[in-house]
Amino acid sequence: MSKLVLENVSFYHGRGTPYEIKALDNINIGIPAGKITGLIGHTGSGKSTLVQMFNGLLEPHEGRVLLDGVDIWSQPKKIRDVRFKVGLVMQYPEYQLFEETVFKDIAFGPLNMGVPESEIEERVLEAADFVGFERELLYKSPFDLSGGQKRRAAIAGIIAMRPEILVLDEPAAGLDPRGREAIFTNILNYQRANGNTVVIVSHSMEDMARLCDNIIVMSAGEILMSGDKDEVFTQSERLTSVGLDVPQITQLMNLLKIKGVECPDGIYTVEMAFEYLKNKLR
Amino acid sequence: MKSIALGQYYPSNSVLHRTDPRIKIILAILYIVCSFLCKNIISFGLLALSAIMLIIIARVPLKTIFGGLRPVLIILIITSLFNIFWTSGDILLFEWKFIHIYLEGLYSAAFMVIRIVSLIIGTSVFLTYTTTPIDLTDAIEDLLSPLKKIRVPVHEFAMMMTIALRFIPTLVEETDKIMTAQKARGVDFSSGSLITRAKALIPILIPLFVSAFNRASELATAMECRCYHGGEGRTRMKVRHIRFVDFIPLVLVLILATALIILNLLRIGFTI
Amino acid sequence: MNPFIKVCGLTYSYDDEAVVKKHAVINNVSFEINEGDFVAVLGHNGSGKSTLAKLLNMILVPDSGEIYVNGKNICDDSMTDEDILEIRKSIGMVFQNPDNQLVATIVEDDVAFGPENLGIPSEEIRARVDNALKDVGMSEFAHHEPHRLSGGQKQRVAIAGIIAMMPRCIIFDESTAMLDPVGRKEVMNSIIRLNKEKGITVIMITHYMEEAARADRIIVMNDGSIILDGVPSYIFENESLLKECGLSVPQCTELVHRLREHGICLDKAGVSIEECADMILKHITEDK
Repeated sequence: MSKLVLENVSFYHGRGTPYEIKALDNINIGIPAGKITGLIGHTGSGKSTLVQMFNGLLEPHEGRVLLDGVDIWSQPKKIRDVRFKVGLVMQYPEYQLFEETVFKDIAFGPLNMGVPESEIEERVLEAADFVGFERELLYKSPFDLSGGQKRRAAIAGIIAMRPEILVLDEPAAGLDPRGREAIFTNILNYQRANGNTVVIVSHSMEDMARLCDNIIVMSAGEILMSGDKDEVFTQSERLTSVGLDVPQITQLMNLLKIKGVECPDGIYTVEMAFEYLKNKLR
Repeated sequence: MKSIALGQYYPSNSVLHRTDPRIKIILAILYIVCSFLCKNIISFGLLALSAIMLIIIARVPLKTIFGGLRPVLIILIITSLFNIFWTSGDILLFEWKFIHIYLEGLYSAAFMVIRIVSLIIGTSVFLTYTTTPIDLTDAIEDLLSPLKKIRVPVHEFAMMMTIALRFIPTLVEETDKIMTAQKARGVDFSSGSLITRAKALIPILIPLFVSAFNRASELATAMECRCYHGGEGRTRMKVRHIRFVDFIPLVLVLILATALIILNLLRIGFTI
Repeated sequence: MNPFIKVCGLTYSYDDEAVVKKHAVINNVSFEINEGDFVAVLGHNGSGKSTLAKLLNMILVPDSGEIYVNGKNICDDSMTDEDILEIRKSIGMVFQNPDNQLVATIVEDDVAFGPENLGIPSEEIRARVDNALKDVGMSEFAHHEPHRLSGGQKQRVAIAGIIAMMPRCIIFDESTAMLDPVGRKEVMNSIIRLNKEKGITVIMITHYMEEAARADRIIVMNDGSIILDGVPSYIFENESLLKECGLSVPQCTELVHRLREHGICLDKAGVSIEECADMILKHITEDK
């Protein structure tokens, strides 16, 4: 079942000016409910524009965006409600922190939704738990946090809105391995806890292979591939043909194949490669 | 947002575009003086003619010029109405109840419009349309450099201008990004009372200031690492040399000024 | 031969207001770097690696210990302003955020900024700027505005700005961390070229193991101290120690490690994909 569906969606930057550029070209995709979907593509492939379609920050020039089968733009005045249902964590979201305390900042979204005061604390604490925040951190200024903590505070600010879909644009960009690991663990836990629908945009094929159930690959404003991750990572030539990397382990297997070792397609995690090679090398 | 135009520089390769920016600053000042030298109908005619010539030489499209005049349009209309209805004189043209319109009033309205319009065209053609903001900053630094002797921080001022020009597009982009992020958290910028809308700016301004301060401190470190130590002992890659041709427009404007002074002495035509 | 940079017993601490006591960020660190070396300093955020870079460039002053650049003690109180400029001229630095290190509104003017500060004659600056832009492959963008460039391009302009000062050593302080994979490759290639073709000493601070693997030597830092120092193949042997320090090992290295734990005899840790592939291939052919 698709939670969110895009039908023939096209979008142009600078519409009506001489600098008009087609950013999205006739996009047809569905985001499956209760799964983690990965969105892959180069900078400028239209990924960030696409995710802004999901929650109505941008309105498609052609086509429809359906949330639970309802066109989100059927009532343009109620578009703000869509933004609460589809929570978007932007790239480098630490820029959105502004309140005196982390607690207040996480509460900002729910307060804008009109959530009653009595429920705020529950939501903030729940969101803080998902990102693994200690209670005392909540009463610090968000500007005193470390880089990775700021990132997690910003994500908690979106989770506290209890969105039906959580969309994260490059959630681990610029973080060190420890910070990345923490964020991805948080996201996995969040998804598993309630069977939430999650969309992650990332450059890192290794992370995508590990986290996602489904993969959508974008190139030059179009959908290049979309489907189950096994299906997508089996076609490593198609990924490399548009200049995208494949996971390092897949590169290794491809290299072995070129060197004449018999290897199956679609190996994209260390675990899979280990299982295969341990018998072969024995 | 990325295509934000700084100032109103109109890229072209006209004679005026190629003229040394320092000369252009002097020209702009001279031109302002000229517009105030005008006292009679012929000198105003000459001023209007020179403004038209400038537009032609600079090869800036009329549409751009009119666009630049739009903000002062209302001021022009109001002041000319004042001039028309409130100036008294000898030759009465029209009379109805308390309204008296004199020829002098029409003249002074026309003069004022010509003066303001030429003033704007003159300065903007010399300074904004044909000179990039960065050239202008460098030229101001050069022209004001004698003031360094009396410890006016001319270099520091120019450096600040350059950095401001460099970072305006970056901060505009960032504002855009922060606004989108806050919109995703349900901030509504387009509805509500004035106070609600002003309040909605807080989640934009605080992150913007925090980030601007961070950028400033990082930039300062980076500049220090690149051996920046103030203006002392600094050289420039692009050294401008005033060429002979740069003096031609200067001479022309000086001729205009002389002509205007002579015309004032002759007292021909209608004079104010 | 004297080492280009020699660090002995370096200690530095930040004044931490919240804790009221001094928090050591760099703790008794000593190492030597020779002219022409390509050294990666690896560590997670807060391991002290960026502080180390700022100490080498005299942006920060150490609490104790000595730093010798070209045999001269730069922690000496007798350092004049000219001496400091001389150090900054010979050790250039490229930072993380490409936006926050470009000063001018035109690419070539920005590259000229450093040489201009050094008071170099105009014609020579022109030549240096053109060469520097060529070295990083950005010549065709000389007249562009920096804010219209991609992250990788901006970072290459920043590198050109440092090359134009003709330094003997460049420190890259997580210069690829904010870039996408394409930008990261562009910048990595520029860094390697500078070292191999122009003989510039490179100190590359990073938390990406894949990038560190391309250096000739890796220094691993954790909690302000050096815990490992050696060639990449030696460093990669210590997989579990690296993981304890919050570093992630490339997938290939992890695979080799697991195969070895499983009792399959592979002789090296495997730094690159090619090396791993060759090792596995060798194992298969030898078995037959």
